[in-house]
Parts: sequence; C-alpha cells; structure tokens
Amino acid sequence: MPMVLDVISENIIKHGSPLALKGSEVSSWAKGLDLPAKGEVLFYTGGEYQMLPFIDSLVKTITHLDQGSKVFSMMMGARNILNKTGFSPEKMYASVLAKDKDRYNSVCFKAAKVLKELGYEFCYSGNEELYSGALLYELGYLQDMEDYVKRVVEVIKKSGAKTIVCLSPHAAEVFKFVYPKMVEGFDFEIRTYVDLVWERRDKLAKLQSAESVVIHDSCRLARELGIHQELRDILVSIGADVKEAPMNREWTSCCGGPIKILFPELSHVIGERRVTELKESGSAHILTSCPYCLSALEAGRAKGDSAVVEDLIEFLYRGVKA
Amino acid sequence: MTVDLRKDFVNYAKSLNAASEDKNIRTAISRAVTSYRNTVTETLERFPHTPALAEEVQEIKRQSMANLDNLLETAMASVERNKGKAFYAKDHQAALDIALGIIGKGKTVVKGKSMLGEELHLREYLEDNGNEVWETDLGEFILQLRKERPMHILSPSIHVPREQVAEVFTKFFGKVVPPDIAEEVKVVREFLREKYFTADVGISGANVVAADTGAMVIIENEGNVRLATGAPPVHIVMVGVEKLVPTFQEAMKVAEVTWRYAQYGVPGYVNIVSGPSKTGDIEKVTTYGAHGPKEFYVIFVDNGRNEMAHEEKFSQALHCLRCGGCMYECPVFQVTAGHFGHTYMGGIGAIWTAFVSGGLEKAAPLLYSCLRCGRCVERCPMSINVPAMIGELRERVIYGKEQG
Ligand code: SF4
Repeated sequence: MPMVLDVISENIIKHGSPLALKGSEVSSWAKGLDLPAKGEVLFYTGGEYQMLPFIDSLVKTITHLDQGSKVFSMMMGARNILNKTGFSPEKMYASVLAKDKDRYNSVCFKAAKVLKELGYEFCYSGNEELYSGALLYELGYLQDMEDYVKRVVEVIKKSGAKTIVCLSPHAAEVFKFVYPKMVEGFDFEIRTYVDLVWERRDKLAKLQSAESVVIHDSCRLARELGIHQELRDILVSIGADVKEAPMNREWTSCCGGPIKILFPELSHVIGERRVTELKESGSAHILTSCPYCLSALEAGRAKGDSAVVEDLIEFLYRGVKA
Repeated sequence: MTVDLRKDFVNYAKSLNAASEDKNIRTAISRAVTSYRNTVTETLERFPHTPALAEEVQEIKRQSMANLDNLLETAMASVERNKGKAFYAKDHQAALDIALGIIGKGKTVVKGKSMLGEELHLREYLEDNGNEVWETDLGEFILQLRKERPMHILSPSIHVPREQVAEVFTKFFGKVVPPDIAEEVKVVREFLREKYFTADVGISGANVVAADTGAMVIIENEGNVRLATGAPPVHIVMVGVEKLVPTFQEAMKVAEVTWRYAQYGVPGYVNIVSGPSKTGDIEKVTTYGAHGPKEFYVIFVDNGRNEMAHEEKFSQALHCLRCGGCMYECPVFQVTAGHFGHTYMGGIGAIWTAFVSGGLEKAAPLLYSCLRCGRCVERCPMSINVPAMIGELRERVIYGKEQG
C-alpha cells in the first residue's frame, strides 16, 4: 500500500494531526480571543483549515523531489523520502508560504468572530484539541480509529460541553455517524458552523451592494448532512445574489479533494472541471463551506483565472469587519 | 498492510492520468453525460411511476438475494421443464468449461453484449480453443477489432470517434469505409448478417431471469440479440445468479426499471426466451428447432456472487441493474472512463472487482481512487450505498479480512 497513507494514519494516532502539526501551531489563531476552555458549546476546528497549506506543500514537495514518477514517490511515503534526501519535514513545512499559512489559519479566527457577533458563547480546547480522525475513517484505518477516538473524546469531555460546533463537515460527519458506533454514550449534539449562522442569519450585517455569488455545495454537507438550503438562506438574508451551478445541492459535483494525496493530478483535473461548472452559473465568486473543497477549488482555478474562491466564513467575516 | 500494491498503484495512476488527458474520452463522455441526464429526466417525466417502481424493485432484489439458493433451484427446474438444459457454474473456470463442453471446437459463435462475458474472458477462451467468435453489439465489435476492453458497460466503445472506427473498418474489411456513421453501421450489418445465419451457436446474457417460468429477459436496441439468439441452431445463455427473481411479473418490473435508467427510454426490443424453438403444428407432435434454436442451454454463473449475497454489508451490491447511471455521475469516471475499473467500472465496479473479478488486490487501486463523494447513490435506482462499501473494503485492504 502507498506508504503515505501509513504515514498519515500514524501522524494522526501519534500527534493528533494528519501532518503532525503541533497543538500550539494549530491553536495560534485563538491568541487574544480569550476563549474559555470550558462551556456549554464547544467550538471545534479539528485543525483542518490550519492544515491545508501543508497538504499542498506535501504534495508539491514530493512532486518536486521526484519529477520522473510523482506517483511512485507518493507511494514511498513522505517521511522516508524526505529523510533520505536530506529534507526534513520541518523544512517542508517551512516552505509553506506565509500568506497561505496566514489565510488558512485565520479562517478559524474569522469563524469565531462571526459567531461572537451573532451572540454565541463557546469554549475551545486550544493546544489540546485533537483532529477528529476523519481521515482514518476515510482511508480504512478503522481499527486504529477505535483507539484514537477515545483520546479525542477525553479532550472533548474535559470541556464539559454538550454541543459540538464543527467548522468542517467531515468532522461533523464522523462525530455524528461514526463516533456513536465506537464510543459508548457519545451523545453530544453535533452542529455545524453553518447551522448556527443560519439560526441567527437575521442578525448578520447586510452587504453594501448586491454581490453575485455561487455556492459550491460540499458533498458531505449536502448529501450526508442534508445542509444546502441553509447556505442559500444565509446568503440571501445578507442581500447576496445567489446564482446556481448546473449541478448543485444533493447533486453537487465533488471538488476532487479526497484523492489529492494519492492521485494529485487527477484530483486537480476534477477540481478544474468543477470550477468551470460553477462559473457556468454566471458568477465567478465561488463560496464553499468545507476546508478541503476550499483548497481543492483554489488549486483547480486556472492560472490567471478571474474566479475567486472563498470559504463562507471568510465571506461573512467581511461583514463583521465593516 | 496486507498486500503490497505499490507497482499496481503506479501503473494505475499513470493510466488514469493518461486517460484524463485523452481528448476523445473527454468529448465522448461529456456528450454522453449530457445526453444521459436529458434522456432520463425526460423519460422520468413521461413515466412518473418509475421511481416508485424502482423502490419496489429494490425490495424484490433484496428478497431474491436472501433466497438465492431456492431461486436457483426453481429456475434450473423451470429451464429443464421447458426442454432446455440448465447448468450451475461455481466459478470462472467451471463456467468456461461448461460453455466449451457445449460448443466444442471449430465452431462459429455469435455473441451478444455481456459484462459476464467480459468477466470470464469468454470470447478469448473460446477463440483459444479453436472457435471463431463474433461480437455482434456494434460497440463490442469495434473493440474486438481494436483489441481493447470496454470503456463503459452500456456504450463499450464510447471513447472511439467515427474517424477511428472508419480506420479500423477500412483495414478489416479491406475496402475504404468513410468516416460516416451510417456507412459504418451498414458494413457491419452486412458482414454480421451472414454470420448469424451460418453460426453454429449464439450466446447471450440476460438482464433478468424469472425463476418460476425460466424466462430470460434480454433488453436491446440494435436487434443483434434477436438475431444471435434466434438464427443459430444452439442458444446458450450465460447469466450471473444475481439476475434471478421469483416470478415473471417481478421480472417485468425489474426490466422496466433497468431500461428506464439505462437510457433506453423505451427499448427497441425486449427478448424473452424460455426454451428451444418448437412447433406442434403437424399432428400436435411437439418438434424442436422450428425456426429458432433446437437446443437451449442456460449456465448460471456464481463466481463469488453467492459469497457476496451472504455478506450483509455487500449483498446490496448484487442489486445492481447495470444501468450505468452512476458512472455518468461519477467525477472520476467522467474524466477517465473505464480506466477507473477492472472489467466492472466505477465505484460499484470496485466492489464487484473485489468479489468476482480479481479480488481485493485488483480492487485496491480502484477503491482508493473513489472520491466517496456519494453522487452515485443519488443516481442509483437501487440506492446502492457504494461509498459505505468502499469504506468497508478499504478497511479490509488495510487489515486483511476480519475473521468470522
Ligand atoms: S450501481 Fe446503481 S446506478 Fe450504478 S449501474 Fe448499478 S444500478 Fe445502475
């Protein structure tokens, strides 16, 4: 099997992050917000947005190291290659552009700000927060996941929360459908960020002028969690002109993200096609609500393409600032 | 990790990348996807009872798979009662042996389109054993000449544009065939017409089989199946056991749902064959081989299906009607066509590969190129939860099959 999968699963199990990011790094966005560690509602990032630039860097670094057979090197596992050729993982991480790192790191900050604006109170596990393990589930490492989730649950329990608000639909999916099967008494209420915003959408600041936007429904959000009308309601309520792509809601086309690590080229082609499809709506301002969609569509945007890809969080935050 | 598949992954990824750059595949599939979506929307409007019927069919399939052993017994008895001969083939080799036993050597065989035939490499096997075999479905005929494998279960040669068809026909027929579709269809028609009437054996699959009557239902548009199963003196049906349903009425329901989602709208022909051709017109003495075949054989092929039927998490995959709808909605298939597959294609194909056509090793690369995006489930008239099964099989790839 491609060793890169083993590396990722090992990272999750050992470090609580698919790319072995440090807790302090993952939680750095929250500095200055003074979020309590305990409360009724737990704000859960799972480190997913924070991880995005590093995934791209992993793919790029490996591609760069072995031009001849990109895929083969993927099979060898990142860590091995990096060690053999004298590249340290740290160096790879250091190669991530500061602007990318800042952008993706700040998504969590922006999400927290928007929720605060809407009057929500919540806590955050900070340094201790662990990744949900969604990739273990995705990639078939279910037995490892069974052990791993116990640790995640411990951290969650420490917060004393009854409700978990997930930024990523992937985290929401596993908390909702997989955890209850693996952990006895896992009876937290699982909400998504979109849910919470939707409930208080009337309080959102209105747009200055009616911008036209198109929604890329994330597969997990639209199909597994059944959330798609909510996104439209939110955008309409702030005065956006919502355009629709030919394939949307439960018929949405996948961004290609899930196979990015093993089949990067193909993933890219699929992302590109989705961007084209979205633009057929008449709007080139693409909004999504999933970290992987965000990153895959960004990558799928052709060079010099006028399309703008943003997370709903980023879009709404502009209203908060104004 | 139980199997080391690095090499396979590399070759597979290369073929996917090459396919995704192939302009023919791109154009052909985009056209096909648009036309599929349009036809299905249109026909569902025209026949609005279809989704409810599909739900009924899901239940028919569920019960049939739970009763597979009984159904098989009943169906075999029905075929025998109809003066046909019924066989059960446990595996791949048994199926080929039985077919070859009936056919022998030095025969001419005309064959209808069948995914089971692909699974068994039937044509190649019969050819290697000294027979002349002709694919009669136009798409498969083109692939036979090009020595390629199908790129879609319903439109096998979807990736070959008319210019390339003209090229291969010109070479094969030894005369200039222009890149004109009507002309291309015509030369094949003339060529195969002669084959139908001189062939010793006709082979077909079946879309659904009614156990109570032993009726084989075969849906088609071209008319090649009528000829291939009607003209030669021997007709052999090779069919997977998952096609069995209890009654004729139920078989009709399955057939209608199949053709509706398989983009036939209304199919040109629905063949129902239950036994050899016969007449009692002279003195009421039943005589076999009137106009159609004198001999009728049915080979029910298991080859892993029964095992699948007994696995709670996978038996639903046997409900597949092979309508092909999921493939059109699959973002990976849309850019790679049948390269995302190994005989059976797309996500559902990965499941089938694991059980009947290559095992977990061949399935592994397919399993990991699935996005698990779930749009296939939206499309599937049987609501087969392919992403869930992909997840289960990935687990088996990582840890090996759990005991018990
Ligand atoms: S899995 Fe469903 S949609 Fe796909 S071919 Fe089978 S029946 Fe059709």
